[in-house]
Amino acid sequence: MIIIDRLVIGGLVFVLRRIAEAVDAGMDDVDTLREELLAAQMRLELGELTAEEFAAVERELLGRLREVQQRQTGGPGGPMRITGVDVSVADDEEPFQRGAPDSR
Amino acid sequence: MSGRAGGPALRFFGGKGGVGKTTCAAAAAVAAAETGRRVGIVSTDPAHSLGDALGYRLHGHPRRVVTRAGSLEAVELDADRALARWLGRRRPTLRTIAERGTYLDDEDLQRLLRLSFPGVDELMALVEVARLVERRQWDLAVVDTAPTGHALRMLDMPRTLQRIASVLDDMHAKHRFLIDSWGRGYRPGAADRLVAELDADGRQLFALLRDPARCRFTWLLLPERLALAETRDALGALAATGIRVSDLVVNRLTPRSPGPCPLCESRRVEERRVLGEARQAFPALDLFVVPALEQEPRGPVSLRRVARLLTARATEVAPDRARGSRAGGRAAAAAPGPPPDAGGDWLDRLAPPGVRLLVFAGKGGVGKTTCAAAAAVTLARRRPGAEVLLLSADPAHSLADVLGVALDDGERAVPGGSPGLRARELNADEALARVRERYRRAVEETFDSLLRGSRFDVAYDRQALHGLMDLAPPGLDELFAVLAVVEALLERRPPCDVVVLDAAPTGHALRLLEMPVTALGWVHALLAILLKYREVVGLGEVAAELVATSRRLRSLQALLTDPARARIIAVTRAAELPQRETERMLRRLARLRLTAPVVVVNALTPAGCGRCRRTRRQEARMLAGASPAAGKRRRRWSMISTPALAPPPRGVGGLEGWARAWELQG
Repeated sequence: MIIIDRLVIGGLVFVLRRIAEAVDAGMDDVDTLREELLAAQMRLELGELTAEEFAAVERELLGRLREVQQRQTGGPGGPMRITGVDVSVADDEEPFQRGAPDSR
Repeated sequence: MSGRAGGPALRFFGGKGGVGKTTCAAAAAVAAAETGRRVGIVSTDPAHSLGDALGYRLHGHPRRVVTRAGSLEAVELDADRALARWLGRRRPTLRTIAERGTYLDDEDLQRLLRLSFPGVDELMALVEVARLVERRQWDLAVVDTAPTGHALRMLDMPRTLQRIASVLDDMHAKHRFLIDSWGRGYRPGAADRLVAELDADGRQLFALLRDPARCRFTWLLLPERLALAETRDALGALAATGIRVSDLVVNRLTPRSPGPCPLCESRRVEERRVLGEARQAFPALDLFVVPALEQEPRGPVSLRRVARLLTARATEVAPDRARGSRAGGRAAAAAPGPPPDAGGDWLDRLAPPGVRLLVFAGKGGVGKTTCAAAAAVTLARRRPGAEVLLLSADPAHSLADVLGVALDDGERAVPGGSPGLRARELNADEALARVRERYRRAVEETFDSLLRGSRFDVAYDRQALHGLMDLAPPGLDELFAVLAVVEALLERRPPCDVVVLDAAPTGHALRLLEMPVTALGWVHALLAILLKYREVVGLGEVAAELVATSRRLRSLQALLTDPARARIIAVTRAAELPQRETERMLRRLARLRLTAPVVVVNALTPAGCGRCRRTRRQEARMLAGASPAAGKRRRRWSMISTPALAPPPRGVGGLEGWARAWELQG
């Protein structure tokens, strides 16, 4: 690839990444966690994760998903409550969270 | 048709499997060469039998065939090699275009270009014929095509080439635009030349196929009712694309029998009727008839005889009026009528309980569809409560004709059959349209999410992606057949108990059986690429769909290679050419780790007139040579024989009655 091309395409990737991040920020955690689960499934299909590794990731992600859903609904089986806050509570221990979550 | 002066000429031989395309093409090639011309003959059917007909061992390189005059070179197309050669010097340019026009980098592209391409036979055939004509300076190229369905796909390839050119052009448009807008002034390079070359090749081939001065199409059929309907469909499909067939050969007419013979007589009655209908249905075409020969023509000497017959107009062979239709009824099969419920014996060998997939495969014209239908009808009847799906995956369907019911891409109950029996003729084009619609939305959504709040214009990418989706990839029939089997056996709740698959003739049946592995390669490559760019485009619906497809393909491959659950049923005739092809197929199947424990030897001739008795003796010798007990070590398959009927069995009742006369041999 010629240099000018690399500059332009490199810039393009940067812009697209910014957009992707903006989209991410608007995405609530349930979607993010679901996507992480899908990514793990893809890695399992490709043989990049063993069945055991996948099971561990899946356990972790499903646990988080339940947590988020409980927070959102105010407890298991409770009515859906839209709070507008506390949607993105990420801490350093979340290995699957990409990028720093924006506070809203 | 002219010689080199007006450019080289092409002559295509097409028709359903087993009608004698290869023999007639070889005969025409020998005859043309012996008028002093430089002639080439190319077989484009992935299951080649041209070498058998000429009596030479052939490969992807031209081999000289000895003729009395002129010159003849013969080739059995090796599509994978031809593609590798074609890609060879174009690979760097293709990579440049893809790198500039997509988000894929060199590593991704290497990965994709290493995969095997489905439909490569159809894609490469015309390109390779054109290359050989040019390179070997042939005056005339005779093309022995694959059976109907795949021949039609091949003839559509010029348009596919042009579509590929247009997709590449769209991919490259962004690069041109960017260079221009940076004020550098865009100068066309290798990428533009490749796009232009592809487009021109497609355009030239397209025009060549439609130029009656340079291209001649001969369509062959057997004098059977089924063949007439298929010919009408195929010629209609060709005419719709602007390709005109100029002559029709009705092959293997039953000669007058030396003595009374119910089989020959009822065949002749049927054949005369079909010949009359053919004359009416295609008044504009030259019609030739070739009688059945007792010995299969092999080698130049007997091919010369066929060539002489090929030039005799049908009108010169007066339709026989001597014997009336005394034997208008169905000719009896093998002498003593079998007990009414003898089917159990062979059925348990063919499909023991636990078997979920039966694939009927074999050379064109051996009677795969009739055998598959008879087996499915019998299976459904004898296993009450079982859900049996009879699925035709040959793009030139004849299942509806065999069952005597109307069929389409939906599953239909078969009137007169057991309640658990359903039948379907797969329509790959419709299936593709559905998938395309589904993904079109997913692609739109991906772009919309990328564009939200941005002024950045990715119009070029969008256009390239849409072009890519409109490009009907070759190999579709095999892919969708595999997906339909997956759906019926693995996804549906409750699942089908047994799928009986009527596959296309040998070459494409093998492509179909390789398809789960081929498709898995593509799915994995796409998964890896999506994962790599998930930061840019996210995952979403397409990724989820791919993961599901990957799992299903792995399950199917596990099922296919499990002898307790899937088996390939080879259908053949007790004659040399089908036998040779069957042996080659069984070897290929073993390499694919597929189980083919049963060979059905179809349509054994009953004792009738002197000629039938001679044929019967030949068949018996063939059978003895191929029987499981013959040879040094015991073969690992059992053999089922079926009697010839004239006209062939039709409808559920006819098929069930016929299947009762099937016999397990030794």
